[in-house]
Amino acid sequence: MGHFSLSVVGRDRPGIVAEVSRVLFELGCNIEDSTCTILSGQFAMILVIAHAKFSSASEIDPFFDAVRKSMKLTVSLHTLKDDEISREKGFEGRPHIISVYGADRPGIVYSVARELARLNVNVTDLNTQVVGAKDRPVYMMVLEVDIPESVDMKELERDFDKIRKELSVSISVRPIESLEL
Amino acid sequence: MAVLPIRIFPDPFLKEKAAPVEGVTAEVAAFIDDLLETMRSSPGGVGIAAPQVGMPRRIVIVDVSAHRRGSQEQNHGLLVLINPEILAMGGKQIVREGCMSVPDYTANVQRAQWVLVDALGRDGERRIIESIGFEAVAIQHEMDHLDGVLFLDRVVSV
Repeated sequence: MGHFSLSVVGRDRPGIVAEVSRVLFELGCNIEDSTCTILSGQFAMILVIAHAKFSSASEIDPFFDAVRKSMKLTVSLHTLKDDEISREKGFEGRPHIISVYGADRPGIVYSVARELARLNVNVTDLNTQVVGAKDRPVYMMVLEVDIPESVDMKELERDFDKIRKELSVSISVRPIESLEL
Repeated sequence: MAVLPIRIFPDPFLKEKAAPVEGVTAEVAAFIDDLLETMRSSPGGVGIAAPQVGMPRRIVIVDVSAHRRGSQEQNHGLLVLINPEILAMGGKQIVREGCMSVPDYTANVQRAQWVLVDALGRDGERRIIESIGFEAVAIQHEMDHLDGVLFLDRVVSV
């Protein structure tokens, strides 16, 4: 079973998912994992697909030429090695949501991400948007992260305090409480 | 007492409607003990419904008192609900739920903020329980199992 990453980006319009999934269905590809969203009017799809026979992305790539043209899509495919794919979580930690927002300025994502990386906090989901009035844009970032047990939350807060001051942003960290039922 | 094996989706049993309990017999009481032990054996497990262990009867157990957030809210501790009926419900809350019958998956589900439930206790006595917050979520999730409904049917976002 060969696994491949597939990314598709193009001006949003109805039918992109239908066309991309039609190509995959006709090829006999399984969609293993996928996420799709609209970013500034661009529809973006990222998928992990699997095929029983194909072993190289270059064998699949030409089948997307027709939709590249008809739907004006940028489609890219890469081969994933068996040891690169996993359904297991790679890193342990308690799930948290971090929201960061403030007047738009360079370095918000980097400052927060650098701090998280230093503490070995794994980012599992990240969403950023520019919101608010046109003349006073607000940068809004929401991260889902896994914070290792070893991280001292007080230290994390102290480091975030520096970022809060330097960039004049609000940062809040909340545990994601899930109910196992 | 015994820890019973948990039915895992896509086991079709989880989509079946469970039948009411006719009376709290010694047999039913013994089953409830096993169901409780099964719930306690799962890390973080705060609720369980009889169909999850393959018993098609309307019995659920909920106890959020050991949960990090549940313990900080109003709760009844251990609740055994036999033939439960929701009399009234209101408000809205979105909670991330997981389920022993759907391993390795959590998603956000919309539930009522509070519920008023009529049920028999393990003593066979009928009582009315008002529940809010996390405990109310647990009750709604477990009662759904009695009608073959999984939290997967109620996901609002992942």
